Amino acid sequence: MSYAYLFKYIIIGDTGVGKSCLLLQFTDKRFQPVHDLTIGVEFGARMITIDGKQIKLQIWDTAGQESFRSITRSYYRGAAGALLVYDITRRDTFNHLTTWLEDARQHSNSNMVIMLIGNKSDLEARREVKKEEGEAFAREHGLIFMETSAKTAANVEEAFINTAKEIYQKIQDGVFDINNEANGIKIGPQHSPASQSLNVGGSGGNQGGNCC
Amino acid sequence: MAFLQWRRFNFFDKEPVKDPATDQIFDQLKDVNVSACTSGRGQLIVGDFEGNLYFINRQMELTAFRAYEIRVTHLLQLKQHNLLISIGEDEPGINPLIKVWNLEKMERGNPACTRLTRAIPGNKPTPVSAFTVHENLNFMAVGFENGIVLLYKGDVTRERHSKSRIVYEGNKCVTGLAFKTQGKQDLFLFVVTENSTVAINLTAKDQQTLLENTGASIGCITMSDASQDNQLVIGRQDAVYFYQPDGRGPCLAFEGLKLQLHWFRGYLIIVGRESKTLPRAPVLGPHGMEMNTVTVYDIQNKFIAYSAPYPQVIDVLCESGSIFIFTGDRKLYQLQEKDTQSKLEMLFKKNNYALAISLAKSQQLDQDGLIDIFTQYGDHLYSKGDHDGAIDQYIKTIGKLEASYVIRKFLDAQRIHNLTKYLQALHMSQTATEEHTTLLLNCYTKLKDVSKLDEFIMTKNRAVDFDVETAINVCRQSGYCAHALALAEKHRKHEHYLKIQIEDIKDYQKALQYIGKLDFESAESNLKQYGKVLMNEVPKQTTELLKRLCTDYKPTDKPLIDQNSLDGTLPSKIQKANAEEFIHIFVNNSSKLTEFLEHMIEVQPNSSNLVYNTLLELYLHDMVHEKDISTRVDRERKTLDLLKNPDANYDIDQALILCQMNNFKAGILYLYEKAHLYQQILRYHMEHLEHLHVIETCKKFGQQDPQLWIQALSYFACKEEYCKSQLMEVLSHIDKKNLLPPLMVIQILAHHSTATLSVVKDYIVRHLQLENDQIAEDERLIKQYREDTEKKRTKIEELKTSAKVFQASKCNICSHSLELPSVHFLCEPHSYHQHCFESYAENDMECPVCAPENRKIMDIIRAQEQSKDIHEFFHNQLERAPDGFSVVADYFGRGVFNKVTLITDQHSKTSNASTR
Ligand SMILES: Nc1nc2c(ncn2[C@@H]2O[C@H](COP(=O)(O)OP(=O)(O)OP(=O)(O)O)[C@@H](O)[C@H]2O)c(=O)[nH]1
Ligand SMILES: [Mg+2]
Repeated sequence: MSYAYLFKYIIIGDTGVGKSCLLLQFTDKRFQPVHDLTIGVEFGARMITIDGKQIKLQIWDTAGQESFRSITRSYYRGAAGALLVYDITRRDTFNHLTTWLEDARQHSNSNMVIMLIGNKSDLEARREVKKEEGEAFAREHGLIFMETSAKTAANVEEAFINTAKEIYQKIQDGVFDINNEANGIKIGPQHSPASQSLNVGGSGGNQGGNCC
Repeated sequence: MAFLQWRRFNFFDKEPVKDPATDQIFDQLKDVNVSACTSGRGQLIVGDFEGNLYFINRQMELTAFRAYEIRVTHLLQLKQHNLLISIGEDEPGINPLIKVWNLEKMERGNPACTRLTRAIPGNKPTPVSAFTVHENLNFMAVGFENGIVLLYKGDVTRERHSKSRIVYEGNKCVTGLAFKTQGKQDLFLFVVTENSTVAINLTAKDQQTLLENTGASIGCITMSDASQDNQLVIGRQDAVYFYQPDGRGPCLAFEGLKLQLHWFRGYLIIVGRESKTLPRAPVLGPHGMEMNTVTVYDIQNKFIAYSAPYPQVIDVLCESGSIFIFTGDRKLYQLQEKDTQSKLEMLFKKNNYALAISLAKSQQLDQDGLIDIFTQYGDHLYSKGDHDGAIDQYIKTIGKLEASYVIRKFLDAQRIHNLTKYLQALHMSQTATEEHTTLLLNCYTKLKDVSKLDEFIMTKNRAVDFDVETAINVCRQSGYCAHALALAEKHRKHEHYLKIQIEDIKDYQKALQYIGKLDFESAESNLKQYGKVLMNEVPKQTTELLKRLCTDYKPTDKPLIDQNSLDGTLPSKIQKANAEEFIHIFVNNSSKLTEFLEHMIEVQPNSSNLVYNTLLELYLHDMVHEKDISTRVDRERKTLDLLKNPDANYDIDQALILCQMNNFKAGILYLYEKAHLYQQILRYHMEHLEHLHVIETCKKFGQQDPQLWIQALSYFACKEEYCKSQLMEVLSHIDKKNLLPPLMVIQILAHHSTATLSVVKDYIVRHLQLENDQIAEDERLIKQYREDTEKKRTKIEELKTSAKVFQASKCNICSHSLELPSVHFLCEPHSYHQHCFESYAENDMECPVCAPENRKIMDIIRAQEQSKDIHEFFHNQLERAPDGFSVVADYFGRGVFNKVTLITDQHSKTSNASTR
């Protein structure tokens, strides 16, 4: 399937906050109740439409475990968008946000759009981080903010799509240099049909596996 | 952090390979100094540092031959062709030789070598460090220790036509090479050296893409299969990385020093050495060998399928559906994958259903197997009290697992929400029964979830996945009439709709409008069913609808003129119901019935007699119950008009009864007259003692029925009061028309004491007189006939006895004086000239003058004779005749009673006295 743009995303945050679940919900519309620790970096892709344009999202789901940090960091480069996720039922995951943010800013380009996500909003009874706190943090650091639930799928679509809209807007505003692939944006291969075959793998968005 | 790993299972059974001939551990390679291994097409191939090649077939039979003078360094068996490509050395120094062996063709007991090529990049000989051959037999790439990659293009099996070019020049030893075909044409070559990873597009001028600034060591490079999109897989100390020609893909952080990477059907096999400093320094195996770990990863399902230590793994060969591990002690181990069912059982034991499901899917387990897992998973979650989770699993079993099993579980647990979800899914999958629909709707109503109910029922354009009637009934019973109604309307269940609208909601107006929109048949049958109620509640509209229905019905929501008739293709048929079938609907509402029937006979004058009868009955009823005189007269006129209406097709008898019951005189009389029941009219008047009318009736209808007069006569005769004038009038009529013989008149009058002689005196006298005259006349005639007869007799006698003198002087034909020869007849007498007679006479026996007269008489006699056979006619006549005697006499005269035919030629014989 051809696309107008390809945006590269990364999902970062502490282990167990639900990064893999968010991706699975977005690509497969499924929820995985058991925690399968992400070992390394996984991959997912899906097509979305913004402003009538087909946009392919290429999403890198990173391991949150401290010990994998060096490996995952190498994937930050060339991401146009980042989902920075914390778990609203675990305050420590919220407290670590600053570290994650610094890391991300340091290893990726400065124009990267960052969406702050307070996940597991379905577990209202066990909430430890107020929504206002998340909002305040986002405001302070110039991020977009949203609370989601990978379990009920609440706001999941929106989280990914709003990020894409923000990137798209930045392209329109000329902030991104779309010809530099290091920015995590690629123009679609519509004009060269021969190279269409390049973007194989997970284009339908139904493969949660780590293929590219 | 040793636990940062995937879950570990034991899905492979390890077995040392035995020699089937001896049943001993296979050890025929125990003294071989192995330098390279490969496998394919059912055989394992080993090369050694002495230049030998060993072939081991499925039966573990070993054959060997010497392929190189010095040593074998690299081996590659192609998968789709029975070709073996080897690299080795035949002479001292660095002179690598590529040899291609056709294993199908034998030459002097050994496979035929079809190609021999020296592998030297440029002019500096350097050892080969990696090589690969494309399965299309058109490309071969050889990498050298000095960092150069040489590509051979053209038929791999032959030296000729093969061209080589340098496609890559690095500065470090080439450690791995792999081809990847992408799309239809694009061919890439992955080149991995000790310090970089590169993709070369061979179809686009060898354009290079640097994938990574690091490389890998020899052996740690493999290609995944299609399940992982044919990616290049590289094992490094920190992780395993996947690459596409355009960039890096995901990575798996499997830590540790890796010695070999292999790919086997979706599994990644890593031979590694625990690099983490273990408490005991390097674990050594038998013969002091270093121990390695062989780990099999299921990449798609993310678990470790097998992991075990082996002494110094030389190579791992994937052949014939299993994994062969060739260890440093020259032993072969076979890893046999467990079957799916036993794998699943292991997972079930650990309650790891989620993994079981994804595993089952990736192993293409059949639907039944999957359903079984879902069921077990559901049961497990249910037993843990996770009802939400359980129901999600049970939903996946829909269509296979008995729904009642699940339903009972959740009914018992009073988990209505879960149950609802399940039932919804059941409906979605079109497998719901009526009971399920009932249950689901009951759930909705129990939960008071009107919005869900709305959604279930009202959603437009949704395929109906439930039994509509059941749904309607359930909604109705639980008081959700509006829903039931909407359902009924949507699915055109007219009967239900009306039932609800009329019986529950009692919106008769709407019900009526609804009926009006139905097609003819439905409208008709429904009006029959609900007409009574509707008539009671909304008489006016119901009547209007009935009028439409019984004249020319068209549903209200259809255009008045339908397309067919516009096109002129089909003349639209007029559909109308029979009015009489709806009459019973109007009980208690005669005024509306009247209106309806009046309308009916107006538009359809040929309505059935029931319509007219009923209307008549209504009129009569109205008339009788009308107190006001003037309106009553009006009514009477209306009724009579109806009776007199020539189209009115009422039943006369019934109408009569009706009129009689209601004592409607004008009507009764009119009907009698219409039915020609003049006697009845007469009797009616007689009963009502209306003498004037009696006479009038007689006068009016006496023509058609003379009996009237006679009845009038006996009527008046027995009247107590004096009605002489009437009697007289009647008598004179009877007399005039001669309706009764006087004797009868006298008898009638005599029966009744009231009539006096004076009344009839004149009549009797007159009659006696007449009789006398008649007798006198008759006697005179008798006398005259007697005389005539006598005369005739004497004449006959005379003719018989006395002579006749012919003294005629003239011919009776030509009137000239008679001359001889002449002919004479006795009759007059008549005389003729013979020549006159011959020219005139029809035959010579008859007198030409008398012949016509004679013939006339003969005809009369013959006619009388003919009619004598008509006995019936005679009897009829006799019966009808006022004077039977004269009829009999008449027939006597005709000779009816003669025994034999009387007619002969008597008369002509008499006149046949020829004198010639
Ligand atoms: N109730 C609830 N549970 C969630 C939600 N998202 C994730 N979880 C659970 O949280 C656990 C961790 O989810 P993952 O997505 O594997 O976490 P992760 O962020 O990918 O963790 P790492 O891979 O270790 O970085 C799992 O048991 C999920 O079932 C949510 O929105 N609601
Ligand atoms: Mg994860």
